[in-house]
Amino acid sequence: MSLTKRTLAYGAGLSIVVAGAWGAVFAADPAHQRHEAMEMVQESFKPLRAIAVKETPFDAAVVKKNATTILEKLKEAHGLFPEGSGGGETRAKAEIWSDRAGFDKAMKDAQAAATAMAAVTAEVDYVAAMKALGGSCKACHDKYRLPKE
Amino acid sequence: MRLPSWRSAAAIASVLAVAAASFWWLTRPDPLPASAIPEHTADLANGEVLYHAGSCFACHKAPAGAPDPSLPTGGTPFKTPIGVFYPQNLTPDPETGLGRWSEADFMNAMTRGLAPEGRHYFPAFPYMAYRAMRLTDLLDLRAYLMSLPPVKAVHPPHTVPLLGLARRGVGLWKRIALARPPFNPGSEGSDAWKRGAYLVNAPGHCGECHTPKSWLMIEDLGRHLAGGPHPGGEGKVPSLRRLVAREKYEDASNLTLALQNGEELGYEDLSSGGMGAIQENLAKLPESDVRAIAEYLLSLK
Repeated sequence: MSLTKRTLAYGAGLSIVVAGAWGAVFAADPAHQRHEAMEMVQESFKPLRAIAVKETPFDAAVVKKNATTILEKLKEAHGLFPEGSGGGETRAKAEIWSDRAGFDKAMKDAQAAATAMAAVTAEVDYVAAMKALGGSCKACHDKYRLPKE
Repeated sequence: MRLPSWRSAAAIASVLAVAAASFWWLTRPDPLPASAIPEHTADLANGEVLYHAGSCFACHKAPAGAPDPSLPTGGTPFKTPIGVFYPQNLTPDPETGLGRWSEADFMNAMTRGLAPEGRHYFPAFPYMAYRAMRLTDLLDLRAYLMSLPPVKAVHPPHTVPLLGLARRGVGLWKRIALARPPFNPGSEGSDAWKRGAYLVNAPGHCGECHTPKSWLMIEDLGRHLAGGPHPGGEGKVPSLRRLVAREKYEDASNLTLALQNGEELGYEDLSSGGMGAIQENLAKLPESDVRAIAEYLLSLK
């Protein structure tokens, strides 16, 4: 093993250890975990939006797959707002905890809309389901999330 | 200690009187001359476009539970760092709305920040931007508002400390703020770009949130639309510059779709911080206007 290769190997090993340590720190942080879940929701929205704006053709299987991911990730995120996990870097507004019932309802509405979207099999129902789902995200974000810089 | 003589008391009193008179003189209202109002046949459709471009409804909406929630009857609390404002009823009710306002009254409100009886409006009402609107557009907007069903709506007074004095003091602020020339898109650029620049900066008043303000609460034009602290006091407002380079939007078509659909189609940056309500209004504009806004915004370096 040449010196360069050895350096690279050590470097790679060290990176894995550092990344692992960071991962362990973040794994225990609900604000980070819910952010990751929401990023997945956002990713799954992209193919759905492409269908809505007719960039790609309607495909019930694609709809079902992505709507199901959205539903799962929304449920996961909903459980990641414990008392005291606001402030600092997060965009979660204090209203999540001061108006917990309103927030829980908004989250349940979004999950219901994702469930309905996963069940869409006919193209005629698609745009309405999409707007209901996106509208449920908007309703919650307008009220309970701070804007991004 | 010796009591002040009648001479020094008189001296103090006259200094105070001069100070009060100067304050009164410096804060006097400066209304638009009646001769400035052009002869114009109102275009209601154009008025409606401006109503949505200005997102009038976002601030002048009725409070939760009002009988007609789609009309701009005002009264929803508007929270600012200096106090809570209860926006004006914009329907033509003669008692509580614009029913008895003349054309000159409306023009003075929009371009000079003056109420019909000459009181100053606080700049929470964004006349700094509206004064850049064409007078014919203002007449169309007024005609549109006057065509709405009148609704009687009584609102609580603003909860600003020393309301009367602060209101009069706005006159001093205006001497500095309104001395700056109103926004003018200039003659360069395509028609769509100029239209976008006008919609964004005059009726749209985007800079009220997206441009940081100086300590005098005047927009810092060196950081025009560059984002900053949220005026509501919580969180940040994003920059509207370099939207493509920052990978927020791909191109003008993409931004147009985003402004038209917002988070209903998953454009998630268009909710939060009050932008959701603005986007709902932008969605009601003709597509050519939304595209003009997109073209202008994407030109910001």
